[in-house]
Amino acid sequence: MEKLTAKLSESILDKFSMDFLRNQVLKNAYGNDDTVIAALDPRVLLAWYLFFGLVPWFVNDIPFLLGCFLLVMGTTILARVAGLVLFLFALGVFSQTGYLFVVTLLFGGDASAIAPLLTLTLKVATISLASVTVFSGLDPDKLSNGLMWYGCPERLSFSISYAYRMLPMLMEEFQNVLLSYRLRGNPPAHETLGGKIRYLIYQVKIIMHSFYPLMLNTAKRSRTTVEALELRGYRYAAVNKSVKKIKLASLKVSCNDGIFLAVSLLVVAVAVLISTLL
Amino acid sequence: MNAVEIDGLTYTYPGAPQPTLKEISLQIEKGDFLAVVGNNGCGKSTLCKALNGLIPHFITGTMEGSVRVEGLDTRESDVGVLAQKVGYVYQDFENQIVRPTVLDDASYACLNYAFPDYLARGRTALRQCGLEGREEEYVWQLSGGQTHLLALAGAVSLQPDILILDEPIAQLDPMHADRIYEVLRDLNENQGKTIIVIEHHTEYIADYCKHVMLMKDGQVCWMLPTEDALQRVEELEECNIFPPQVTQAAHRLRRAGRLPTDIPLPTTVEEGKTAFSQLRYVPGAPRRTPEATSEAAVSFQNVSLSYRSVKGEPRTVFQDLNLTIRRGEKVALIGSNGAGKSTLMKLMVGLLRPNGGTVSLFGEAIGDKKAEDLSRQISLVYQNPEEMFIKDSIRADIAYAMEVRNIPEWEKRTAELLERFRLSELADRDGRLMSGGQMRRASLAIGVALNPGVLLLDEPTANLDIATRREIMAVLDDMKDIIQTAVIATHDMQLVCQWAERIVVLWDGKVVADGPRDEIFARADVVEQVGIRPPEIFTMGQALDRRALCYTVEEFLSSFQEA
Repeated sequence: MEKLTAKLSESILDKFSMDFLRNQVLKNAYGNDDTVIAALDPRVLLAWYLFFGLVPWFVNDIPFLLGCFLLVMGTTILARVAGLVLFLFALGVFSQTGYLFVVTLLFGGDASAIAPLLTLTLKVATISLASVTVFSGLDPDKLSNGLMWYGCPERLSFSISYAYRMLPMLMEEFQNVLLSYRLRGNPPAHETLGGKIRYLIYQVKIIMHSFYPLMLNTAKRSRTTVEALELRGYRYAAVNKSVKKIKLASLKVSCNDGIFLAVSLLVVAVAVLISTLL
Repeated sequence: MNAVEIDGLTYTYPGAPQPTLKEISLQIEKGDFLAVVGNNGCGKSTLCKALNGLIPHFITGTMEGSVRVEGLDTRESDVGVLAQKVGYVYQDFENQIVRPTVLDDASYACLNYAFPDYLARGRTALRQCGLEGREEEYVWQLSGGQTHLLALAGAVSLQPDILILDEPIAQLDPMHADRIYEVLRDLNENQGKTIIVIEHHTEYIADYCKHVMLMKDGQVCWMLPTEDALQRVEELEECNIFPPQVTQAAHRLRRAGRLPTDIPLPTTVEEGKTAFSQLRYVPGAPRRTPEATSEAAVSFQNVSLSYRSVKGEPRTVFQDLNLTIRRGEKVALIGSNGAGKSTLMKLMVGLLRPNGGTVSLFGEAIGDKKAEDLSRQISLVYQNPEEMFIKDSIRADIAYAMEVRNIPEWEKRTAELLERFRLSELADRDGRLMSGGQMRRASLAIGVALNPGVLLLDEPTANLDIATRREIMAVLDDMKDIIQTAVIATHDMQLVCQWAERIVVLWDGKVVADGPRDEIFARADVVEQVGIRPPEIFTMGQALDRRALCYTVEEFLSSFQEA
């Protein structure tokens, strides 16, 4: 039994390595560019998000919320979102409302608290899933083009796609710095419970210490990047209107966008209808 | 018309007491293929940045004199206009790539300068740089050589007349290096581009470049046609530039009066065949092969490993790999970029776990070892020394592993190591701010601090100029007595030949050859398949006599005598 738990905890730790994180980030950004959602026009998706990200906050009608929830669940499946993101979503939503339920019980509430809590959970879940669909179903470039069309500054959209380009590199660098600590450091023994806690504190400390070399190394690298951006006309493009026009020329609303909006509208209409009938 | 005209250029970096460039005047002809050589810090890169307008527009400082590029005065034109005349590829080219996919990055500059046909331009550039068919790939899927070609394509996309490359092949294996130079030659000959490279590898200069310019202390010593430039062996060596080994050998023969002084020194193996035709091979005493104990230091049993990939199936790196490294061996691990050398090293220190099979260290599986035991038995020196600097001074970095283990007298040992690696003067500086050679020495000192039984070195000489490389090679030689077992992963065949007793050739995740150097380099099939290349002098010896196996200029001189 002991061996089994040891093995289990090891495999979880193994899974949750930097390598895994890096892979998930990349998967999230670029691993799903062939899905239905990814093929949609980013402007349409952003408008869609405006509805599903805002309206549920102000509506308390359970059938309507449930309908919206089912719809965004469908789109999330279509977007083939990376596992880690979904896991974080589930953890976030249910720890939030689960903890409220526990507190309610503690202060003398009973099971009747479930219904209002369920409404809240539905709201949070719907909005979160809608965000997940849009921000992780679209690749960063399309997303930033969409934002640019709505008038967001060019620098913001460049930052989004550049961050995605840099993240894997940063994570690799971070991983290597952490490995330096692992190879040369001397972690406390962690057989006993006290040892395990000390080990955990040690790990957190190492991660914090790793930021210093990471930042300095990144700063060193970015010297070239800054010069290269200058040579490649980044600053020039930021003030040139025709560049924006050329970039946005690639955006096109297609038949699929129409179908997507129609289906969404239909689901919402049916949900509203059911709630009025009930 | 000249592509570049510089007149009385003197430039001082902001805050620097001395000018970096002093009174430079020169003309570079259109269509030239020019190599710029010189010591570290002689102003090569600064000169190149003065050509593309980064100096004085982006990097300020005081600039006197004038620089005209394609008829444009750099002081009066802005960086954007100049960028369409001069393309620049940095030495750390991977930091130059800012977009996620290949086509995106290649066309990025064209988009920024508002060319409506930016995608077509990007495609053309990719085709010119031999990256056709990879348009949709993500930049992190590319190998080192391909990444460099992409950086080049990014510069070529604006169709500049002049291309400047800073140390284009410092990190590449010979096959990829050839590829880069073939592309450059094509751009030069068929597209009429003027190419300027900062280059230390004189073998490549001899093969590809038309002119050589020697710089010293911020001044231009001379600019000559390549054949004439490489004849000036003493002047070059004084600046730590080492002419091709064939030229070095001929030069020394001439000095000893064994070669007539009236004919020019050969610069390539082809020319060497005629120049050395009078020499006969004299077999020397057979070399003794050092004996290794039979005790295994590291062994791989049926190891397989695959990586998660962003899309689709995991990528298999190793499948049923078997390899034993015995105690006392000095092993060189060679193979092209991406053959799995670094991955193999990460398996040995337990940073990666194999999906199947076992990796054992001194007879015990690595997975069962405590991290603490492991770091006393094996140590890894990264390819990128910056990632080993986790403290704010190298003294603290070297001491760290000993300090946290409370090793008796760790302060004394740190001081000894600093002394041994000639770092005492720099002990309180941050490793990142040191020169390339100093960083390497510091990383080696960190690696041996715990007296590990096995020392792994990943590309210890990559990105170093020839003089620093020699210095590191001397340090490695010097370390032979303090390190029992060592494994080096490298592309540097001179290092392999001078240092290693056993060579393991990796190709596509498999060991395709394994043995002493004479055996490996004699196998034409392996040399061909893997694209490894013996040092030039070895090829020279072979061309003269198949029995000759000489790896250094000294060996060549002693095994060839006049008939």
